[in-house]
Amino acid sequence: MTNARTSMIDLATRWLILGLLIVYTIYNVGPIFWLLLSSFKSRMDLFSMPPKLFFTPDLSGYQSVFGVGAAKDSASAVGVFDSLVNSIIVSVSGTALAVFFGTLAGYVCSRFNFRGKGDFMFFVLSTRMLPPVAVLVFYHLMFARLGLADTRFGLVLVAIFANIGLATWIMKGFFDGVPKEVEQIAIVNGYTRMYAFTRLVLPMVKGGIAATAGFCFIFAWNEFAFASILTTTQAKTLPVKISAASGATGIEWTQICAAGVVLIIPVLIFFYLIRKHLLMGMTFGVLGRR
Amino acid sequence: MSATPMLQLDGLKKSYHGKTALRGLDLTVNDNEIFALLGPTGAGKSSTLLASAGLIDLDAGRVNLAGRDVTEADPATRDVAIVFEGFNLLPVLDVKDNIAFALRSPEFREAEDEISRRVGRTAELLRISHLLDRDVGTLSGGERQRVAIARALVRRPVMFLLDEPLSALDLKLREGLRAELRQIHKHYQSTMLYATHDYHGAIAIADRIGIIDGGSIQQAGTIEDIYRFPANILVGKLIGSPSMAFLEARIEGGKVVVKGAAQSLPIEDFGTVATTSGKVVLGIWPEDMEVGPAGVEDASVGTIYAVDNRGFERAIQVETSAGSFRKVVPLSMPVTQGDPCTFRIPRGACFLFDVESGKRISQMGEGSN
Repeated sequence: MTNARTSMIDLATRWLILGLLIVYTIYNVGPIFWLLLSSFKSRMDLFSMPPKLFFTPDLSGYQSVFGVGAAKDSASAVGVFDSLVNSIIVSVSGTALAVFFGTLAGYVCSRFNFRGKGDFMFFVLSTRMLPPVAVLVFYHLMFARLGLADTRFGLVLVAIFANIGLATWIMKGFFDGVPKEVEQIAIVNGYTRMYAFTRLVLPMVKGGIAATAGFCFIFAWNEFAFASILTTTQAKTLPVKISAASGATGIEWTQICAAGVVLIIPVLIFFYLIRKHLLMGMTFGVLGRR
Repeated sequence: MSATPMLQLDGLKKSYHGKTALRGLDLTVNDNEIFALLGPTGAGKSSTLLASAGLIDLDAGRVNLAGRDVTEADPATRDVAIVFEGFNLLPVLDVKDNIAFALRSPEFREAEDEISRRVGRTAELLRISHLLDRDVGTLSGGERQRVAIARALVRRPVMFLLDEPLSALDLKLREGLRAELRQIHKHYQSTMLYATHDYHGAIAIADRIGIIDGGSIQQAGTIEDIYRFPANILVGKLIGSPSMAFLEARIEGGKVVVKGAAQSLPIEDFGTVATTSGKVVLGIWPEDMEVGPAGVEDASVGTIYAVDNRGFERAIQVETSAGSFRKVVPLSMPVTQGDPCTFRIPRGACFLFDVESGKRISQMGEGSN
């Protein structure tokens, strides 16, 4: 009797949890599913009510995003392909440079003591605390004066500035996890510290570098505030473009949706590839010794 | 044994973030000897070894190695090998390459066939030949430490610096490897500075011992010398198993009176004593202390506070009004925790220490030694 009632309650709890999970999943996946469907719809299908689940796919959105086929040169093209190129250049080079400098700075902060090290570490971290909006106007004026406004180079600089603090802190955590005896053994046995760093220590933190690169790439790829203020025509990145993609024939929803899908894909791939290192980066970096 | 100094440390000073690690440390390690640096955690053992290897920047002091002042010299040019306690092996290399590591460096490079000959021979010596192609991640603790020692040995440096090399291993492995280290020492005639906090390990392996605490050497010498003439209370606390018994005492009227004890000892028994009155600390090796059942005449009274069974003997802790001490007694002696007991301090076997400085103030027969 009691057993039967307990199992009834258990069953009800399980259904309740399942129901909540389904609602949560729809809430999260629904918009992406809608985006994916819409990116293949022609203008006619896009606005039909009720929304069509089955329709003849229209690839013009993707053609214009990737700059292939007739759609690229048509009157309705809004230049999403150029912004995709901009986004890739800015994110990849910004990430690479931020991780490069962050790795060097993280190693120095992990291994050496210097005057004002604590203050330096806090300063590096503080660059991430600042809301971008607070400095946007200043950046706009400075970039305009330096001739960096609306250039990819300017956006790469912004991506470096925005990510180097994060990269330094995460990498310091990983280096802290490598015993200093690694370098000591190398040095006593006739190697240079540079050899120890590049050949012994770096291979030990390659997972950390991957995780750091992942974080930095996502931030750079998704960055909107700076890119929207600092670009006008030439250097617009994909997020900025999507927010205002209007062509000669009005707002190009198909292109916007296709660009949105393209915007999500690298994030998915990146996180899938580094998912193992990611958890380690989150805990290992923070819980590292010293 | 020849007594040419191999390593001479002179007035080493080092502090990290205002915390003093080395406080004017002086130490001489002779050629072909195993010198054990015995001290508790934080005593300055690791700093001494790192300073000898040139891996820390000293605040003051000189380091002389193999007849050469190397204070400012680059670590790579000092030709020492170092083995650390825990982490030792380079995970990016396999066992063979870990052992060969030094022989491929710009400083100590050898030809590849010479490398494989030496790696093979060293691996044989340490009985790890079967592990050569393994990944270091797959090795057990004892195997790792053997590989680490092999890596240090393969180069035949002028000196080995061993920083708690066996402390992370269990007792059986430790004893086995310790014996092997002695064998290697005999085989290669090498000089070793061996830092440890393990008293048994230190006396088992070393020719001479240096007691280190608070960043300076408290006393250095053979274990017999240290037993015979302990320099201060710290030395007594770190030497012996159990360590020295210390009792509160007073000198009055030419006698040493132990607090609350029935006996008083004539001061002549202690040799020359630097002071003639006032409080002192009486030290005695537990082996010399006589402990018996309650009711013995002329003996002082204490309580058995704790009993440790060691199988073939027992270690007891005795509480007295002058302080407590530990002593090993045979199984034949009946002892129960909480029982009263008696103890008697034999004449001529004790030391007197200054209460403030902890230094020994009784001198006995040092000149004739």
